[in-house]
Amino acid sequence: MSAPTLHAPVFRAVVRRGWAEQRRAVLTWGGSLGVYGAFMAAIYPSIRDTIDQVSRNYPSALAEAFGVSSMSTVEGYLHAEMYSLIVPIALCVFAARSIGRPLVGAEEEGRLDTLLSLPLPRGVLVAGAFAVTALLCAAIMVVTGVLTYVAGALAGTGISAGDVAAGVFGVWPLAAFFAGVAVLGTGLLHRSASVVGATAGAVAAMYAVDLASRLSDALEPLRWGSAFHYYGSPMLDGIDPAAFAGLTLAGVLLAVAGAWRFGCRDIRH
Amino acid sequence: MPSAVIQTQSLTKRYGRSRGIEDVTLNVWDGEVFGFLGSNGAGKTTTIRTLLDLQHPTSGTATIFGMDSRRDSLAIRTRLGNLPGDFACDPHVTGRAFLGYCASVRGLDDLGEGPALAERFEADLDRPVGELSRGNRQKIGLIQALFHAPELIVLDEPTSGLDPLMQEEFLRVIGEHRARGATVFLSSHALDEVERICDRVGIVRDGRLVAVESVEELRGRAYRRVAITFAEPVDPTEFAGLPGVRDLQAAGTGLRFQTDGDLDAVVKVTARHTVVDLEVAEPTLEEIFVAFYEHGAQR
Repeated sequence: MSAPTLHAPVFRAVVRRGWAEQRRAVLTWGGSLGVYGAFMAAIYPSIRDTIDQVSRNYPSALAEAFGVSSMSTVEGYLHAEMYSLIVPIALCVFAARSIGRPLVGAEEEGRLDTLLSLPLPRGVLVAGAFAVTALLCAAIMVVTGVLTYVAGALAGTGISAGDVAAGVFGVWPLAAFFAGVAVLGTGLLHRSASVVGATAGAVAAMYAVDLASRLSDALEPLRWGSAFHYYGSPMLDGIDPAAFAGLTLAGVLLAVAGAWRFGCRDIRH
Repeated sequence: MPSAVIQTQSLTKRYGRSRGIEDVTLNVWDGEVFGFLGSNGAGKTTTIRTLLDLQHPTSGTATIFGMDSRRDSLAIRTRLGNLPGDFACDPHVTGRAFLGYCASVRGLDDLGEGPALAERFEADLDRPVGELSRGNRQKIGLIQALFHAPELIVLDEPTSGLDPLMQEEFLRVIGEHRARGATVFLSSHALDEVERICDRVGIVRDGRLVAVESVEELRGRAYRRVAITFAEPVDPTEFAGLPGVRDLQAAGTGLRFQTDGDLDAVVKVTARHTVVDLEVAEPTLEEIFVAFYEHGAQR
């Protein structure tokens, strides 16, 4: 294999092409999540008192598990309503879709036969897909965060820009981790829907393990096996640099393993 | 003797228990146009995809430019252009943007012969590929395989979807690439174009290479159709006894038969009678090809 530096121009070309193909996702996914976040932030002042009453009636274990105990602040409310489940799952599924499309999606459509006849190493194609996904996820979260913050500020919620930034960027390493899972899927599966489905299954399983382990002391040791454990509650607690780096590194390692497997397998016709 | 640009040794690809190709041993010489003939599912595309490292051989080896098709795949791909069967690219990009991407991956600053080829093929480079007809998409595929003037051109059913005028233009373009020294490996169903452009052909049947011959050899070794009209009826058994004569039909003063034997004997027996008309016709490559499929490699 030639030196990585020789592949840098090819990698840049792949990233440029991948970004051009999928950049609309920043508006569609970022816009959708952002509008949802803006709506939730904007209505917070009018429902704050009701939320307080509801959260006091929650069993303490459930309130803790679902983040309901912190809903006396707009950040806590946004975490409980959006960032504990909906946003992470949406971004992780997007990441799986974004990885699958230029790899197994292109394979299904017969496009890989053309691309891999060019002097384009499969590893560079995978690395490009991973990089584009990482960039798209970051851009989506920026749009989401900006819309949420602006709406919250205009509604007079006293929302903190720093907490929102921590919340949106805290989701990114989780998406990077599941992007790595999706890359591994492309090394084993030949259909885009299968890759997205398998990754979504992994997201759901890890979320369930994390939730169950918070509700049951007996299951507590299983938390260490769930990416959601390391995700935590960044909007409330800030970003844990070790967890951020660990999840990202795990995602990269999974992607490397997936790229190796993708490089070994036959491309179907 | 020219060097082999493509060389396979007992190349075999199986898909589980299903057959792909079996024991394909083949040389494609530098500077030749090699036609790869076979019916659907015979193994043409499997051979090409295995050569290009899109799938890995079950056993056997393949070298291109003297390099291992698997280990040195990247170096090989810098020197070739490939048009896959059923060419496809991102339907949302224009042909120009797609060619630009191919050029940037190849480390080229411009589209090389791309614009000139687009003009010759009357290809629209400024519409999204997804909006083009099948034939016009095929033109984009041809251009991406040829625009960088590669040393080896691999084409899987290249004229599929092209109208007759464009097929003629394609043949002229390939002739020009041959003239500059490029090697061309093409699979095709269009036997007339293979006949016109190829130096040698390989025939693949049920995953096995059953013959590799020059077009001239193939035609020369094939049977002839003979039709003779005599001045008066003759005894057909004179001809039926000649070696290689078959399917003899006599009607009035006429005789029709096929022969893959010595024409000299036919001429000598014919000369005993008064001949009004004599026609000796070579079969088309298509008829030879069909004969291969009906009778195996026996000629």
